[in-house]
Amino acid sequence: MTSIGTGYDLQNSVFSPDGRNFQVEYAVKAVENGGTCIGIRCKNGIILATEKIITSKLLRPGANRRIATVDRNIGVVSAGLVPDGRHFVSRARDEASSWRSTYKAPIPVKALAGRLGSYVQAYTLYSSVRPFGITAIVGGWDTDAETKVDGQVGIGPAVGSGGKVDGAKKGGPGLYMIEPSGLYWGYYGAATGKGRQAAKAELEKLDLSSGTLELEAGVMEAARIIYVAHEDSKDKDFELEMSWVSSVDGPTKGRHEQVPSSLLEEAERRAKKAMEGEDEETGSGEGEKMEE
Amino acid sequence: MFRNNYDNDAVTFSPQGRIFQVEYASEAVKQGSVVVGIASKTHTVLVALKRNAEELSSYQKKIIGIDEHFGLALAGLASDARVLSNFMKRQALASKMTYGRPIPIERIVERIGDRAQTSTQVYTKRPYGVGLLVAGVDETGPHLFEFQPSGMTQEMVACAIGARSQMARTYLERHLDKFADSSRDELIKHGLLALKESLSQDKELTVDNASLGVTGVAKDGKRKIETFKLYDGPEIGPLLEAALETSEAAPAAEGGESMEVDT
Repeated sequence: MTSIGTGYDLQNSVFSPDGRNFQVEYAVKAVENGGTCIGIRCKNGIILATEKIITSKLLRPGANRRIATVDRNIGVVSAGLVPDGRHFVSRARDEASSWRSTYKAPIPVKALAGRLGSYVQAYTLYSSVRPFGITAIVGGWDTDAETKVDGQVGIGPAVGSGGKVDGAKKGGPGLYMIEPSGLYWGYYGAATGKGRQAAKAELEKLDLSSGTLELEAGVMEAARIIYVAHEDSKDKDFELEMSWVSSVDGPTKGRHEQVPSSLLEEAERRAKKAMEGEDEETGSGEGEKMEE
Repeated sequence: MFRNNYDNDAVTFSPQGRIFQVEYASEAVKQGSVVVGIASKTHTVLVALKRNAEELSSYQKKIIGIDEHFGLALAGLASDARVLSNFMKRQALASKMTYGRPIPIERIVERIGDRAQTSTQVYTKRPYGVGLLVAGVDETGPHLFEFQPSGMTQEMVACAIGARSQMARTYLERHLDKFADSSRDELIKHGLLALKESLSQDKELTVDNASLGVTGVAKDGKRKIETFKLYDGPEIGPLLEAALETSEAAPAAEGGESMEVDT
């Protein structure tokens, strides 16, 4: 690598002559070895899923969850250094709670992504800290329903500052991915971690930008994609963890929740079946080659 | 020793995305004497091998009771463990004060995990050089957690850390299915036998070098939990006897098994 031996990669916040911060690039390397994480933005909700590699037989099955709830309607999953992920989640919870105490309403996903992006970016500015070794996917549903907010006294002015704009579009699904540099984008389908390339290829096939994928169908796809992304590290066992947020009239009633075990099992069963089908296809493909 | 430029502090990533200072801190855990933890549906047990600096000195404390419902076992720098355990004692008390109930095990482990993570991201700090097994009972039953210098915490069914702990882990993996339904006595036995696997040849478990902590869900009575009980010194004698009795019979059975494998 061109970075090694130059001395410009030994300290955070230092630019190399061609304008790069190598420590941030190395942090990305930590992410690239982490378990695959994906997020899907569906018509009526968000799905988060992760591949949790089983590093020891002695781990308690089903415990050690990696998808965190940050506010009632927002979930976070991250790939990379797990303790860094917890730090990130803890900050996200503080942001969500402080937003609530200021505005008496839940934080919009877009605003949370912005706050967290700034926080992560700050860790690239100083040589006294290191960047986050994670890429995080933040997903949630901003309610479009007219609900009472915490500690509400009145309904506020009808027009003007703090007033409501007639016909303004509000609420809906939000999905963002934040990188170690602090850079973040909104996504229809996001993937990070070891199997991100395979996962991205699968996500692109789904035509997510049309916004027509139903939440339940999305759950099936998410499970399948994690299984596809796991193909390259087949020798390692893994647990699939999945969560979702729907609109207020959807299955989660606007909350971020674990996907119910019955649905999760169904999705895993179908994913395994789809994988078997694929194996047969590649098998016959090899046969053809032999004939040639 | 081989040197590399990326291992001077915990705020520098290597080109592969590793943090060497944190990895080196994990090596300190491997220098500590072995500790074992197991959880069943009703109990958790911590077992430790204590070391003494010299013949005439006392043995280093390995298991610390934190609150009535949980305790920890340490491997690595004992002074770092004391900082963490004092912190946990304060947090446990504060939780009782504000919420009027014992702190959930997962919550307290999360707290030390977050604290340890900070010391891997800030130049002015160093990672903790200690690994912990935290075991206890709360409203959701018995729990066993492993804590590492990286700030990584994981809930385990059984776990062993410290010097030569691989042998104990092998024992635990072999008997993994039996733990869930084990009684209090059986769990203690498994703990001691796992610990015994990790002893070097010239050593054996005695009332001086073995230490054991148990807590569990109380069978009856007004109290919901069995208070964390530390067996240290003479008190551990009967437990050792009971465990070693079974292990005396075990080698014969194992011998029989290996004969069968041969045929």
